[in-house]
Amino acid sequence: MNEEKEVEEQSKPLVLEKLEEHHADALLAQDEMRGTAVVVVRKEQAYTVLEYLKTDAELAYTFLVDVTAVDNSQMESELMQFDYARFMVVYQLYSYQGQCRLRVKVPVHESDLSIPSVTALWKGANWLEREAYDMFGINFEGHPDLRRILMPDDFEGHPLRKDYPLRGRGERERFNFDKQNV
Amino acid sequence: MGLDFVGRGVGETDGNIITTSIEKVVNWGRKNSLWPMPFGTACCAIEMMATLASKYDLSRFGSEAIRFSPRQSDLLIVSGRISIKMMPVLKRIYDQMPDPKWVISMGACASCGGVFDTYTLIQGVDQFIPVDVYIPGCPPRPEDLIDAVMQVQQKITSGASPKGVEAVV
Repeated sequence: MNEEKEVEEQSKPLVLEKLEEHHADALLAQDEMRGTAVVVVRKEQAYTVLEYLKTDAELAYTFLVDVTAVDNSQMESELMQFDYARFMVVYQLYSYQGQCRLRVKVPVHESDLSIPSVTALWKGANWLEREAYDMFGINFEGHPDLRRILMPDDFEGHPLRKDYPLRGRGERERFNFDKQNV
Repeated sequence: MGLDFVGRGVGETDGNIITTSIEKVVNWGRKNSLWPMPFGTACCAIEMMATLASKYDLSRFGSEAIRFSPRQSDLLIVSGRISIKMMPVLKRIYDQMPDPKWVISMGACASCGGVFDTYTLIQGVDQFIPVDVYIPGCPPRPEDLIDAVMQVQQKITSGASPKGVEAVV
């Protein structure tokens, strides 16, 4: 505990200070891991916060490195922390101006898998969100073209969820060759 | 010319006439002009490229004419992982190749899925297309691919039908 405090006192990243100042009500948690600031943000305010991070002149996180998700369903410690939200949507940001990275995590409950799409902020989010949709079933609202990107169009299920069997549900043996778009 | 199967005429012809069967001549021609259709999807394809390049020089076996059109090929080399999304493509390419056609399943992934025992990977292409020669290895060395091509040549010489064909004329 003491060690953590020391780190915090040494130098708090600018982004954490600014978020506390402007979006304190959106922050669920904040952390620092190997020099990268990590913030957990409420889903309702996620878009506003991300927009702020991109457009603020001092922060300028103009580069969206990655959008992905984590299925915490078998990770009790994580579940407890954020009101038993099964999924965590993760945004990796980079600021060329500040030359620093930021990880934004948003808890998403299984009962409501929708989350606003950030394609309007970063065009590059298009395929990344499609992948997260394909693999986890996260529903990015406002996405211009939310189709599967890796799995075949007629695939059922979301294979990176923890309850999806590693060897599949027989799709690799039972095979349908009558596909229109081959 | 390597026509070791050709019998010589005797008596009056004094060795100036050679006799053989049309089947043997055709097979001899097929054997020495295998045109591969490369289906490279992973690191095995790198080894396949090395096999075709100057050091290993597959053209020594008459197989340098790589055709990216399946309709001009008679040897399909499946080199790499085949996912459930890729399998219909592979099957379609195989179907487009004219008979007689041979298939080499190169490497562990094409032959049995390799280390990728997951929902998305076909556990051996032989479940869906007939395979004549399997090559073990991850990835196999160019020598292994050359050996497989030679095995296909031996099959052709012996007059055996390819796996996927009823009988070769």
